[in-house]
Amino acid sequence: MSWCWFAVVDEAKVSGALASAAAYDLDGRSAGLLAAWPSSRKPVPHAVRMDARVVDAEGAAAWVSLVEVAADRAPLFDDPAVSGALRAVLSGRRLDAVTTFVRDSSRFAGSLSVSRTDGTELGVLRDDPFARIRPARLLRVEAGLLGSVPPPPGPVIQRYAGQPWPAAGF
Amino acid sequence: MHPDLVPGGRLPDLELPDHSGITRTLTELAEGDPLVVQFFRGWWCPKEQSAMRALVRLQSEAEVAYTRFVSISIDEPVALSAFRAGLGARWTFLSDSERRYQEQLGLRETTDTLYRPYVPTVFTVYPDLRIHNVYNGYWYWGRPSNEDLRQDLRAITRELRSDWAVGS
Repeated sequence: MSWCWFAVVDEAKVSGALASAAAYDLDGRSAGLLAAWPSSRKPVPHAVRMDARVVDAEGAAAWVSLVEVAADRAPLFDDPAVSGALRAVLSGRRLDAVTTFVRDSSRFAGSLSVSRTDGTELGVLRDDPFARIRPARLLRVEAGLLGSVPPPPGPVIQRYAGQPWPAAGF
Repeated sequence: MHPDLVPGGRLPDLELPDHSGITRTLTELAEGDPLVVQFFRGWWCPKEQSAMRALVRLQSEAEVAYTRFVSISIDEPVALSAFRAGLGARWTFLSDSERRYQEQLGLRETTDTLYRPYVPTVFTVYPDLRIHNVYNGYWYWGRPSNEDLRQDLRAITRELRSDWAVGS
């Protein structure tokens, strides 16, 4: 499985999830539950597809930069703003994990960048290149959802047959 | 160079720390795509600096062409990371600072007894690490030009992608 469903939901909507974890903003207020589901039927109407390697039910708590792009504002993946962000991620400081979101074959639906490295997590995430496309939310995510994935090998920025970047394979 | 490292032979699936210190393998880094594997002396060599700048000029094509690069030297990950950032490279660099694979591959630069680096060598390979072409860059002009690499990657991709001839 190269992709899975992802959505921010309230607690009543996580049935059937691969994993889920509560999220909080910088002021400690609840930001809902981040959840991932298998790549079968769409679990909730606003779910998007992401790289399944990011999900780890044993994963430790982490900080994330979450960029969500509404369907009517989603730029093409081929938009130079998106291509530039992918290049910046490949050349920038290492994240614990990163994935873009997709709804269809051609448009950028957002991103999730994960960091829990060495106490500089927020500094890294405040430089999230995807936040240049749409504003990002910085969230603290509890354990049980997000793993650690080696940085994407470069220099490929193209996606494979509509998959969320950096998931590979046609 | 080891006699098996010729077109039609296969590169071993080297397992080394990348520029972030995370252990990676060549097959993991290929992710099913054609791969350019470049052994280089180190950041200090002016020939390498020139060759690297040329490869950086090719990366804008590789990044839209489902093609991966990997560069390997005896530098420590922190030095590779700084060199990579200075070049503006967006591919993975691997560190063999312990020279784990140098003898196995027969790629030791015998004329440099101080640093004992890799002899500059470039392989173009299939995702399963089958070798398409080899370039011995001990003398600078032995290295592949970007045009050489472009032709190798075209040949590999043509063989790899079943829909290459769509429309013909």
